[in-house]
Amino acid sequence: MSESVIAISGLTRRFGAKTALASVTLSLPRGAVYGLVGANGAGKTTLIKHILGLLRAQEGTVRIFGHDPVADPVAVLSRFGYLSEENDIPGWMRVDELIRYSRAFYPAWDDAYAEELRTMFALDPMAKVKSLSKGQKARAGLLIALAHRPELLVLDEPSSGLDPIVRRDILGAVIRSVAEEGRTVLFSSHLLEEVEQVADHVTMISGGRIVVSAPLNEIKESHRAGERVPTLDEIFIAHAAGAEP
Amino acid sequence: MRSAAAAIGWEFRRRHRWGLLALACYPVAMAILRIFLYASGRSVHIDDEQSFAFVVAVPLTATFLYLVAVFSFGLSGDLSARRSIYPARMFTLPVTNSALAGWAMLYGAVAVTILWAATRLLALWPSGIEVPVIWPALLAASLLAWTQALTWMPYALPGLRVVVTILWLAAIDAIIMIALNYKAGELVMLAILAPHVPLAYVTARYAIARARRGDEPDWRPLLRVAAPRRREHFPSPSRAQTWLEWRQHGRSLPAAVGIVLPFELALFFVFRDTPALVFEMLIVVLTTPPLLAVFAAATVSGSSLTKFIATRPMTSASLIAAKLKVTIASTLAAWLLVLVATPIALKLSGTWPLVMERVHRLVEVVGAPHAAIAMLLVFVALLATTWKQLVQSLYIGMSGREWLVKGSVFLALAIVAVIVPAAHWAMTNRRLVALVWKAGGWILAIIVCLKLAAAASIVIRLYDKQLLSDRTLILGALFWSATVFAVYGVLAWTFPEVVIRRYVLALVAIVAVPLARLSAAPLALAWNRHR
Repeated sequence: MSESVIAISGLTRRFGAKTALASVTLSLPRGAVYGLVGANGAGKTTLIKHILGLLRAQEGTVRIFGHDPVADPVAVLSRFGYLSEENDIPGWMRVDELIRYSRAFYPAWDDAYAEELRTMFALDPMAKVKSLSKGQKARAGLLIALAHRPELLVLDEPSSGLDPIVRRDILGAVIRSVAEEGRTVLFSSHLLEEVEQVADHVTMISGGRIVVSAPLNEIKESHRAGERVPTLDEIFIAHAAGAEP
Repeated sequence: MRSAAAAIGWEFRRRHRWGLLALACYPVAMAILRIFLYASGRSVHIDDEQSFAFVVAVPLTATFLYLVAVFSFGLSGDLSARRSIYPARMFTLPVTNSALAGWAMLYGAVAVTILWAATRLLALWPSGIEVPVIWPALLAASLLAWTQALTWMPYALPGLRVVVTILWLAAIDAIIMIALNYKAGELVMLAILAPHVPLAYVTARYAIARARRGDEPDWRPLLRVAAPRRREHFPSPSRAQTWLEWRQHGRSLPAAVGIVLPFELALFFVFRDTPALVFEMLIVVLTTPPLLAVFAAATVSGSSLTKFIATRPMTSASLIAAKLKVTIASTLAAWLLVLVATPIALKLSGTWPLVMERVHRLVEVVGAPHAAIAMLLVFVALLATTWKQLVQSLYIGMSGREWLVKGSVFLALAIVAVIVPAAHWAMTNRRLVALVWKAGGWILAIIVCLKLAAAASIVIRLYDKQLLSDRTLILGALFWSATVFAVYGVLAWTFPEVVIRRYVLALVAIVAVPLARLSAAPLALAWNRHR
């Protein structure tokens, strides 16, 4: 059994009267793609914010690479690549400035790989971030998330609202990260066919609780109805409705 | 919601209900105080202009500025951007440009009119000062309407909005000042002001029409003389973060000083034959950086902590350190502008000999070394004050809690509106002044105790949370102590013991050098970053 990249135990989070996460326990070993799925408001982003150290655990513990991300943000975030739906890269930065700025934080930054990604994504180095389309902004975010070859790549609804070409780029990067470099990816999405394409392991979250967490094949097998293997969409809808397919 | 008008009105009311309610409290409190004083048979007369300013003009101006910010959408928009600050989400509503401009302007005009009426009816004390009836309300409505129209307009260059708006409002103010100078009556003032609101409305409607159809010219390529340079890599995360902070907030103060300074320096040419006014203008010029730093501080500390910044692999203390470095650079850049431009303006305007004459007189009275050191001390004090203004509210802004930011603003307004007039009144009471003077040492000692207790509590938290290393804490304490000793030494050299006791100077030095609020900044950022 390899060391857990993410180890969450009994994590509970409340916002006023609302319980966003209830006793969540999760362990993600190294070297696989984990799909985190759930309806809007299920608690996916709250869970990811705890992993990033942006939320402090009210109850329970969160350990990333064995470190508390709140107490030791540098040790955790320097081994992290993060891309979110709400891409808030400062709009005044040019693409080359964004690369120059981000590079300073990561000793493992790979200039050749960054340039390769920039060329592949057709990002003009002199273009300002605010002048980029939504898809191009996502590509710029993906570039800085990948160029330091992070041990853990966290993608929070990365392809939400993007065209199929950008989604293909993001999925391609995920697959390449894992296939060529054996890194760990946590991929949150409600586009289940995407998760199905890349995830080895799926964690389904509903009402702040983990309802299913197992390898994708196992989940599909356990929901098999005769010869027909259900899609992740069908399994998700069945869980959301509280009934087996 | 029955209509667009009701919906727009509801949004203003709902978003700013607490602020508007708090502001309404001032005239009501004044009215209650008056009723209480009259009922108890006492009378209050405010005869001097200073008292009048503290009790009426300052709270009124502060409230007016808040209303301007609310009704021009300035609290949520980016004033320095090229795009209109009118919320873009409202452009998709099925209403005409006239409705979008008109209702917001009407509500604003009604609010400032009520403000004037309430102040005049409830907050005015009997005084020898003649207070006009209607035209100040129309002036307030005109200034608000022009602010709305000019800030809602899209511009071809970043920052142009601020320059155009300030110049236009200053021009209106100048016309009013000239009219007052010629003792214009109420009717003349009304005639001067009457066209402004309709003209501003037409301009606002045009501005919204342009913003709505995305008509946003861009002159930046015309000003670009050379292609952007590719630069070397940053040697450390700290340098990269400092660069980002400088680009985001560092240029605000030098830019503000750069905009205001030419207008101030131009007055040296206007007043060159009146030495008293030249010196007054020189004082205004020298106090410009600290004054503008109060406003620039909002950009340094008020920006929200984005996920992009929060997920940088840096400690909260390092993020704050980058901000502090940038505030030092901002202060130096702003003062460099003043130090270069002011002598040039004095020379060109022919007022340089007037200033030099005063300097020579000072040298004759106190001697050259004392004069040089005194001038150096004044400069260092102004420089330190500018920096202090930039950083002292950092801990509030960095907390990211809206209630704390708004609470601190209201506290500041309350101090201006209540404590300052009370202190001003106390100053006229000789017995009270004597008592305060006698107890001054004790009062200072209590303030020092509070400051040191707060600092100790903050340092314990910083240590417990390991936000600062032991070495940084010790170095910080040593640096602070050295600064306090230096300030004490300067004060002791400046003021003989017969004037002020040494221990009082030591207490003043401890109070003057920032400690608790500055130390609280990393804690506030960590509180915001890890919620």
